[in-house]
Amino acid sequence: MSAVVVPSPASFLTGKPLRFIAAAILLVNGLFPALWILFTSLKTESELTLKPITWLPHQATLANYMQAFSDQPLHLFLFNSFMVALLSTLLTLFVSVLAAYALARLNLRFRGLILALIVAVSTFPLVTLLVPLFEIMRSLNLLNTWVALILPYTVLSLPICTLMLISFFEGIPRDLENAAMIDGCTRLGALFKVVVPLCAPGVFTAGILAFVNAWDEFLLALSFNSNPSLRTLPVGIQLYQGEFAFPWPVISSALVVGIVPVAILIVIFQERVVSGLTSGGIKG
Amino acid sequence: MSISIMPLTDADEEQLPRWSKWLDLSDRALAVLLLAPAAILLSLIIVYPVGRLVYTSFFNLSLTSGLPAEFVGIDNYRAMIDDPVFWQTLWNTVLITIITVPGALLVGLGLALLANLPFAMQWPVRLSLLIPWALPLSFAGLIFAWFFHSEYGVVNDVLTRLGFGSIIWFNSPKWAFAAICLTIVWKTSSFMALMILAGLQTIPRSLYEAADVDGAGRIRQFFEITLPLLKPSIVVALIFRTITALQTFDIPFMMTGGGPGTSTATLAMYIHQNTVSFLDLGYGSALAVVMFALSMVVTAVYLRIIRTKE
Repeated sequence: MSAVVVPSPASFLTGKPLRFIAAAILLVNGLFPALWILFTSLKTESELTLKPITWLPHQATLANYMQAFSDQPLHLFLFNSFMVALLSTLLTLFVSVLAAYALARLNLRFRGLILALIVAVSTFPLVTLLVPLFEIMRSLNLLNTWVALILPYTVLSLPICTLMLISFFEGIPRDLENAAMIDGCTRLGALFKVVVPLCAPGVFTAGILAFVNAWDEFLLALSFNSNPSLRTLPVGIQLYQGEFAFPWPVISSALVVGIVPVAILIVIFQERVVSGLTSGGIKG
Repeated sequence: MSISIMPLTDADEEQLPRWSKWLDLSDRALAVLLLAPAAILLSLIIVYPVGRLVYTSFFNLSLTSGLPAEFVGIDNYRAMIDDPVFWQTLWNTVLITIITVPGALLVGLGLALLANLPFAMQWPVRLSLLIPWALPLSFAGLIFAWFFHSEYGVVNDVLTRLGFGSIIWFNSPKWAFAAICLTIVWKTSSFMALMILAGLQTIPRSLYEAADVDGAGRIRQFFEITLPLLKPSIVVALIFRTITALQTFDIPFMMTGGGPGTSTATLAMYIHQNTVSFLDLGYGSALAVVMFALSMVVTAVYLRIIRTKE
């Protein structure tokens, strides 16, 4: 810190008032939609149809949350979403740790080609494979199972996680592995006993990205799992809509229930998520 | 691309003999072993399905008719040319892409510049960019459908208070399309902002200090230092955004269901409808091949840019 502060000609651009306005814009843009849904979820049906509309709920009620759980098996939607996301994350990590290690450490002849392939797969539109995947899952009798979603979700995050892990692995000195191998570890033993623990933050970050990707996916879940008890959250939330009725407070409650788990994850691990996203994670 | 994948250097090569006795025999075998799970998954979920997709697109395969698949050559593609809904959904998809990709870039750039100011606390700023990113697209669609509700939506409330009167968003193709595009821009600009912010933070302060000394104003600094140095991160973000925009499904599906009529339906929605609702797998496949070709073009451009960068 220098003692002498020389005001630049445009110092008002970095001054306090501007920072205040900037913070307000950022916070409203980022958080208002989620807050609005929270307000809506706390309003009674009768308050909702007041004109002009109210912003803050006058008489906050939790009744909509009770109804969200009783009208539809919301706990099952949550459970399905959670299990599908968790299992596909674990599978993604396992597969990408192995692949990334091979690409980071072994002198592969086709390394460049494989890397280009991974980048190409990372941009692959899974939507276009709706028909063949539907056929494959149908012929394997996997429609309406978690597996029908876990496998595609794993592929969805595999390229991002592999690219991230390659750069993490390259940051680990080879000597550590060599030392472990001299101590009698096998190559794979060194991978799981030395490299992965050292890269634990990186592996964890990759895991969060894979989890969020799987938690968010909608089209495949909608197409492959039509059985109500196997629906994931994004698909299940649609069921609250009646033919003509749209019970917004109840839908909002279900949305809040769906947002909270990921929001907690993001709040706790925000720095890690940002560094992961910007170091190689790529998602729309 | 901000990932640094270091080429194996000579120093690494020299190290090899030291542990060669552990891997000499097994180096290739180990590589095969380590890459096999990924290869198997990719073959099952991407390679085989792509082949099957192209194959099915030449067949008349409708699960509702109960008839066995019949080879029809390019009939499905020919049918597409005469199908106004195909053209409409293709056009909507392209339109969404050319509106929301630059839109998200501009908004994202703005947000990133704001977020880059020296705030006392960084975490609220970071969170305000991360929450929209982490919000599922389908949730964003539902939330904004409620935002744009003609009677009780907050958007119309604000418009009325400002004296503009309210808009019945989802009854007119034009306004419904606008609502969808606004939602997509909101949802995707945060990711853009995070990528650009990461780029901004790598620009050394000394460049601006030097420019200050030379008497260059803020605006000139922005166009001559900030933008050129941000170009790599912007290009990567743009390409990924373009590819995901071509696949737009969740937000219009949740907000309008493609309506009124098919005026806001996207190609992905049409593929889904043909496959899951009509069970017309042949035609659905032909449509998907078109989308596949579209995104291959974008991916090819992307790979080329990465390569020229290296």
